[in-house]
Amino acid sequence: MDKLANRLRDDAERIDATISEQLDDRIRASLENVTPQQPRQPERKARPVTFWWASSLTGVAAAIAVIALVNLQSPGPGTPTTEPASPPLLLPTIEWQAETAVLVSPLEEEYENLQSDLEKAEQAVRQDIERLF
Amino acid sequence: MSSETALIEAARKGSAAAFSDLVSAYREGLLRFLLTRSASYADAEDALQDTLINAYRYLHSYNAQWRFSTWLYRIAINNAAKLKTADTVELGDLSDEENDPLSHCIQHQDRQNLWLSARRRLSDEVYTAMWLRYVEDMSVNDIAAVLERSVSWTKVNLMRGRKTLEAELAAPATDEKSKAYG
Repeated sequence: MDKLANRLRDDAERIDATISEQLDDRIRASLENVTPQQPRQPERKARPVTFWWASSLTGVAAAIAVIALVNLQSPGPGTPTTEPASPPLLLPTIEWQAETAVLVSPLEEEYENLQSDLEKAEQAVRQDIERLF
Repeated sequence: MSSETALIEAARKGSAAAFSDLVSAYREGLLRFLLTRSASYADAEDALQDTLINAYRYLHSYNAQWRFSTWLYRIAINNAAKLKTADTVELGDLSDEENDPLSHCIQHQDRQNLWLSARRRLSDEVYTAMWLRYVEDMSVNDIAAVLERSVSWTKVNLMRGRKTLEAELAAPATDEKSKAYG
């Protein structure tokens, strides 16, 4: 055994724990006045014989009622029970021709570009009108 | 059938004498343990009496898969905890050695008793685990059952308790140092 274990054991022995005669008498006297509890057994209640007959008859009656209800509610033999299965729907595939937008330019630059486009378009329209009329 | 088992059976049937014989081997150890957990000698005696009465009253609930001492210590710890709750105000500051009731049960020349330091430095549960291991020679499984903790918790905290007390042993125990620790 290691040093610490020996030391702990020795030190515990040095603690004075003598049981005095008074304490001994006190404990014995109090134990005499105590009755140990007994483990509780589950109580079984006696049932009358008619109880079993009554429960059996109730069970049989309930079973008959359930069978009758199920038979009354069930459809006749000629009635189809399920709907015909529909053919699978063929959806046309759509091919998207889209370009991803590049939203990296500053808004001001975009605004200027739009303005110049508008001016060019306006000039083109004016030229077309003058040429036609 | 062992003598302990025979005594348990007789005590279960209501023999107080058989119960007294059964616990006679454990009473002193229990009192010593309770002394380290109580506010005074009288409290420890009361706790011992309550422990034995409860053990006798509820002996039917003892499960023979555990050692009888394990079951007894479980009851003793519960009783000590009740006492401690009731006497919290009277316990005072345990960091002061003079206020520690355990110190009054130890002779003056034995003031270097390691259990005095243990009481101040370890938590209640770790202290109890150390006591059960090194004084009562209980297995780790039994200690875990007494403390209602896992085996791994018990192992870890026994190791921590050991480390703390080993450091205490290694430290030079001079009066100046003791005062410095408060």
